[in-house]
Amino acid sequence: MSQADSICVVDDDADVRDSLEILLRRSGYAVRCFASARDFLEAGPSATRSCVLADVRMPEMDGFALQREIARRWPKLPVVIMTGHGDIPMAVKAMRAGAIDFLEKPFEKPALIDAINRALAHADAPDAPAAPKPVPRELLTEREFEIFQLLVEGHQNKVVAHKLDISVRTAEAHRAKLMSKLGARNLADLVRLSFAGES
Amino acid sequence: MPIAKAARENPLFEALISTAVDGIMVIDENAVVQVYNKACERLFGYGAGEVIGHNVRMLMPEPYRTAHDGYVGHYVATGEKHIIGIGREVQGLRKDGTVFPMNLSVGEGMVNGQRIFVGIITDLSDRLARDRRIQELQTEMWHVSRLTDMGQVAAGLAHELNQPLTAILNYTNAGLDIAKDSGDKDLETIFGKVAEQTSRAGNIIRRLRSFIEKREPNRVAEDLGKTVEEAIRLGMMDAADRNIHLELRAEPGLPPALIDRIQIQQVVINLMKNAAEAMEHSENRHMTVSVQSASPEFLQVAVADTGPGLAKEVADKLFQAFTSTKKSGMGMGLNICRSIVEAHGGRLWAEDNPGGGTIFRFNVPAAGTET
Repeated sequence: MSQADSICVVDDDADVRDSLEILLRRSGYAVRCFASARDFLEAGPSATRSCVLADVRMPEMDGFALQREIARRWPKLPVVIMTGHGDIPMAVKAMRAGAIDFLEKPFEKPALIDAINRALAHADAPDAPAAPKPVPRELLTEREFEIFQLLVEGHQNKVVAHKLDISVRTAEAHRAKLMSKLGARNLADLVRLSFAGES
Repeated sequence: MPIAKAARENPLFEALISTAVDGIMVIDENAVVQVYNKACERLFGYGAGEVIGHNVRMLMPEPYRTAHDGYVGHYVATGEKHIIGIGREVQGLRKDGTVFPMNLSVGEGMVNGQRIFVGIITDLSDRLARDRRIQELQTEMWHVSRLTDMGQVAAGLAHELNQPLTAILNYTNAGLDIAKDSGDKDLETIFGKVAEQTSRAGNIIRRLRSFIEKREPNRVAEDLGKTVEEAIRLGMMDAADRNIHLELRAEPGLPPALIDRIQIQQVVINLMKNAAEAMEHSENRHMTVSVQSASPEFLQVAVADTGPGLAKEVADKLFQAFTSTKKSGMGMGLNICRSIVEAHGGRLWAEDNPGGGTIFRFNVPAAGTET
């Protein structure tokens, strides 16, 4: 990690901002904090390699809207979304909006540093984002692929189960199986894989 | 037995007694049955031949069975009326041994110098069963709405608590780094434990949230028209008192809906209550509840009122939690309704009623091919 790397924290909760500033500063990053999406948009990103760490739920302009605006103004500036709501629909929405990763609050330090480093690595990438490998479809059974697609469309287990006329338990079992086959550790991984499949 | 004889000999009297929907029975002052009509046969399960000429107490469960002769004797001796001319709810005993609630009204007369008592009997089992059903539904509804509200409050709380927990965990991890650098082992251990406990609290909240979200709704194929009709009965028992003309329009031949009946009834009742309140100061109070097909996959319920309609600034914030135009409102009603409908995979929205007022509509999935 380079000393100049700068993290822009956007969260309406003063204590969350303050605690992140201390933690990230102690970990060697330069940190700038903003109480609202608008504050950040007015100030703009740092000149150095940087990424944005933004909360989803903020008054006026939420994290997704901020993400879209950043994509329009500074397409190469990576965004990590923080959310108190770690479910699949939220993950899909975050990734659809172009977030690099999403963190479920409260998060452990390794998860935070991991997400930030991944985002910063993205900032280094040449203009077009590196096209990830498509989903290795042949790894999955037909049923597993069906379930994969429903999951990353943002459906919860019970909806998947209902749509396919199987029990929730079975749907969960399939989901666990396909995640391990695809090497997805969490929902963010799974959703990322689906985007790889699209591009 | 002159009465029984008269009945047999007078065709009009005979027709009157035997075609009556209510049970009609005549006893003499010794409580011996003289007349026992067809309706009584249906009610009690005994044929006329098994009852006429016997003491009427055979049709009563204990303790009335033993006490009845005493009642009649007491009245004949003192003239004190307890049931005569009044009627009351009592219990009857069927031939098969079952006891059922019935309304008994008793009149007294003299025929050929002989005192008779005429009893008219209405079976109350249906009405009581219906009352009980409504009571059950109300209890159930109260329970579910409490659960739903609690779920909403818990979800809000989980979110609020996550913020300070995030700050605590971040501060602690920073402290842990400092402790490591300083080489103070005890401090490092302490910070490590604080971080552990904070994560633990975070996990409890996560579990709480997933418990709220994954609580399996009890969704089965239900007749949406019936469901709505029942909700109207439960929620708008005072419609007439409020001078509201209430109309239910159910499209015939609809497929069943895949719903949690009670939750959907809760939504319907909520929307109807809002509609009723909206029309409080309106001249024309007409509420139309329609059940119809919205598409091959969705059925729709619409609650239309003829109130003043929604002001623009109200319409914008309609579904926000803790927003209310009512003095006593918490502002959670529509929010909860929308959560319920969306959890069913449907949508809830409001639109202007072309004739004035507002229409709230929501869709729920048809059970369709799965069932």
